[in-house]
Amino acid sequence: MLFPTVDFAVFFLVVFTGSWLLRPHKIAWRWFILASSCVFYGWWDWNYLMLLFLSIGINWFLGLAVFRSLTPEGERTNTSRWLVRIAVVVNLGILGYFKYFDFFVSTIADKMRSIGISVDAPVLNIILPIGISFFTFQAISYVIDIGRGQWRKPLTILDFAVYLSFFAHLVAGPIVRASEFAPQLDEVPDPRYVRSAEAFMLIFRGMFKKVVISSFLATQIVDPVFANPNAYGPLAVLWAVYAYAIQIYADFSGYTDIAIGVALLLGIRFPQNFDSPYIALSLQDFWSRWHMTLSRWLRDYLYIPLGGNRGSKAMTYRNLFLVMIIGGLWHGANWTFVVWGAIHGSYLVAERIVKAKWKGHELGLPPLLVKAMQWFLVFNVVCLAWVFFRATSVDEAFTLLGRLFASAGSNAGVSLLLIFVIVASVASQFVPQRFPQKAEVWFATWAPALQLAALAGGLVLVDALGPEGIAPFIYFQF
Amino acid sequence: MPAGLIIVVIVLALCVAGLFDADSTLRKSNAKGDGWRNEIAKTVASVTDTLHINFFRNSIDDALGKNQGTKIDVEELLRRQVEAENAASAEAAKKVPVLPAPTPATPMKIWVGGDSITQTFGISFQRITQSTGIFTPTLDYHVSTGLSRPDYYNWPEHLVKDVLPANPSILVIMFGANDGQNMIGADGKVLVRASEPWMAEYRRRVAATMDLLKSPDNQRITIWCGPPPMGPGTKTRGMDLMSYIYWSEAQSRPWIQYFDTWPFFSDSSLAFSANLPNADGVVRSMRQKDNVHFSTAGGDRLSWAVIDRIGKLVNLKAGNVTPPAAQAPPASLVERTETPPSMPGAE
Repeated sequence: MLFPTVDFAVFFLVVFTGSWLLRPHKIAWRWFILASSCVFYGWWDWNYLMLLFLSIGINWFLGLAVFRSLTPEGERTNTSRWLVRIAVVVNLGILGYFKYFDFFVSTIADKMRSIGISVDAPVLNIILPIGISFFTFQAISYVIDIGRGQWRKPLTILDFAVYLSFFAHLVAGPIVRASEFAPQLDEVPDPRYVRSAEAFMLIFRGMFKKVVISSFLATQIVDPVFANPNAYGPLAVLWAVYAYAIQIYADFSGYTDIAIGVALLLGIRFPQNFDSPYIALSLQDFWSRWHMTLSRWLRDYLYIPLGGNRGSKAMTYRNLFLVMIIGGLWHGANWTFVVWGAIHGSYLVAERIVKAKWKGHELGLPPLLVKAMQWFLVFNVVCLAWVFFRATSVDEAFTLLGRLFASAGSNAGVSLLLIFVIVASVASQFVPQRFPQKAEVWFATWAPALQLAALAGGLVLVDALGPEGIAPFIYFQF
Repeated sequence: MPAGLIIVVIVLALCVAGLFDADSTLRKSNAKGDGWRNEIAKTVASVTDTLHINFFRNSIDDALGKNQGTKIDVEELLRRQVEAENAASAEAAKKVPVLPAPTPATPMKIWVGGDSITQTFGISFQRITQSTGIFTPTLDYHVSTGLSRPDYYNWPEHLVKDVLPANPSILVIMFGANDGQNMIGADGKVLVRASEPWMAEYRRRVAATMDLLKSPDNQRITIWCGPPPMGPGTKTRGMDLMSYIYWSEAQSRPWIQYFDTWPFFSDSSLAFSANLPNADGVVRSMRQKDNVHFSTAGGDRLSWAVIDRIGKLVNLKAGNVTPPAAQAPPASLVERTETPPSMPGAE
C-alpha cells in the first residue's frame, strides 16, 4: 500500500479511529496495531508476511536468550557473545539470500566464463521482499543492544512484533531503535492533545515532495536521460544528474515526512531522518544530515565494532572506507552501489587527510567564498556518486558521465521550469529551520475549519500538479 | 487538536478534496477499469458536475494546460478543417501528395512526434534529418500519451492548434504503446480494452485524427509509424491490433502513408528481437532494457528506414541521405505488404 493513495487514506482512517479508541487498553491496542501493520504489508503480497513473522520469531527468541545469558549486572558472557553472533549471522543470512544470492552466483559465473570455464549458474530470480533491509537492521540493533547491556528490558513477543512491523516505518524506515520505540508503547498519550498541526504539515510536505517534485523530475529528464544517455548532450546530462539528486531526496525524505507525520497522528514519534543534506560543507556533514538513522546504525553497529577511530589513522581510514562500501551494498546487490560507497568512502578519507594536513592554515580567501567552494565541491561529489547509484551498471554510469564531454546531442527535457525546480529545491534547504517551525506554530493556531480547508486545498493542489498515477518510492527496493 | 476532531477534519478534508478532484479521480478510475470503485467515482463526478464543484479543479487544470474533458471532441476540430477542405480539389485528395524536392537552400519542414517511444526515435530522427542538410526537423513528444486518453493529452487538438499552423510538409507520427487501456466512449461508458466497442471507438479516433492531417492543398504527407513489437515482460499490449487499425485506416487516405516498423525490430519469424544486425552485419541492441523504448541504435535504424520511405515519395537527391551501414537496417528488410490484425506472441 502506497502512502499517497486513496487505499491508504481509507486504511489510515480506520487505523486512526481504532488506535485512539483502543489506546487505553494496552493489549488490545497492540493487537490492533499489529493486525493493521499486517494488512498494510500484506497488501503487496501476503506471502511476505511469513518472512516478517519468521524474523519476529527468531529475533525475539534470540534477544531473550541473549538477555538471559548476561550476568545479573548486565555484563557480557561468552554465551551472550555467541548468541549475538548467531543473531547477526542468521539475519544477514536471510538478507543475503533474498538480496545477494543471485548477485554473487552470477558474478562468480561471469568470472568463471572470463577464464574459459562455462558454468550453468543456479540463478533463482528471487523476488526481494519489500522493506527487508529496514526491518532486518532494526532486528539486529535490538539483539545487539541487549547483548551490549544497553537495553535491559527484553520486549514481550507482542511488543517486539509491534516494534518490528509497525506500518509507518516498515517498508522504508526510518530505522527506529527499540529504545526509541518501546517506551512509547507503554505510554498512553492524551487524545485531547494530538500534535496534528505538525503531522499535517509533515504529511503535506512529504506528498508534495514525492508526488509533485520527484515525479516531475523523473519523467521530465531523469528517466529518459539515464535510459538512453547516448542520445543526449552535455547540458541535458548535467541537469539530469542534478535532477536525480533532487529526485532521490524528494522521494525518500518525502516518504519519511509522511511516515513521521502518520506515526505522530497515532501518538508515536520517530527520529528525524533528514536535515537539509544538500547544504553540507563536508561529506561528513552530509552523512549527519542524509538518512540519519542509517548513518547512526552504521556508526554504532559497524564503524565502532570495526574499531572506529580508536586505532591508528590508517585503521580509521580503512574503517571509514569499509563502512561506506558495506553501506553501499546494503542498498542493493550491484557493483554500482559498491562504486557509490567507494566514492563516499574515498572522499571521507581524503577529507580527513586534507583537514589534518591543513589544520591551522589559512587560504587567505574570504570565509564566505571558502564555504561556497566547499559546498560546491561536496554537492557535486554527492551528485557524481548518485550517477552510479541510479545507473543500472557501472558501464552505463561511465557512458552517462562521458556524455558530459560530448560535442553534440539533444537537450530535450531541459526547460526553464526544470531548472527552476532544481535550483529552488536546493535553495529551499538553506531556509533556516525556524521558519517552517514558525509556520507550524502559526498553522496550529488556525481554527479547525481553516485547517480543514487548507488540507483539502493542499490535496487538490498535489493531485493537480502531480502526474497520473503514483510511482513506488525509490527506497522501497532497498 | 483532540483526536475526535482530527477524524472529523481528515474525513471532511478528504471528502472536500474528493469532490473537487472528482473528475480527475474518474479519469484515472476509467483508465484502470476499477469495477465498483469506478461506480463510486462516476456517482461522485456526476454530483460535482451538477453542483459545478469541479470548477475550481478544472480552473487549475486549465491554468496548467491540462485537458479536463473525458471525451475527444474531434467534431469541432473537424469543422475547422471543412472550410479549407472545400477549397481543395476532391480529385487531388485521392492521390498521394506530390511535394517539391527539398534542397539545402529550401529545406523541408518535417515534424516528428508521438509518445515516449518517439522520444528516442525522435532524437535520432532529428539528428539524422538535420545531417542530411535538406530538412528542418521539429521534435514534439509527450510521454504516456496516445489516443486513448484525450483527458490526459489531447493529441488531435494539439495537432490542429499547435502543429499544423507551423505548416510542416511531412509529419512522422507514432502512437500505440500507451493505448492498450480502457477508454470512455462517446456516450460516456467505459469501453473495455480490445473489446469490439473499444476497437470501433479507437478506429474512429484514428480515422478522425488522420482526417485532421489532410491539408487543404494536398501538400502534406504524414508517415504514420505503427508501433514495433514489444518484448517479454512489458505491460504494453495489443501492438499488432493497433498496427492493423492504423494500416487499414491509412489505406483509404493517400495523405497518410503507413510505415510498418514491425519487420525492422523482429527476427525472421517476425517475433520480437532486442538484438539485431544492421547493414554492416554487426548485431546491436535496438531496445532499452524495458524492451519497449528504442536504444540509440534502434532510433537510428528506424530513422534511416523512415527516410528511405520518404525518399520513395519525395525527391531527396539534394541531400546527404545515404545511411552509414552501421546505422541503417540491412537492405533485405522490407515492410509487410499487408498488416494482419494479430501476430503470434504479441499479446
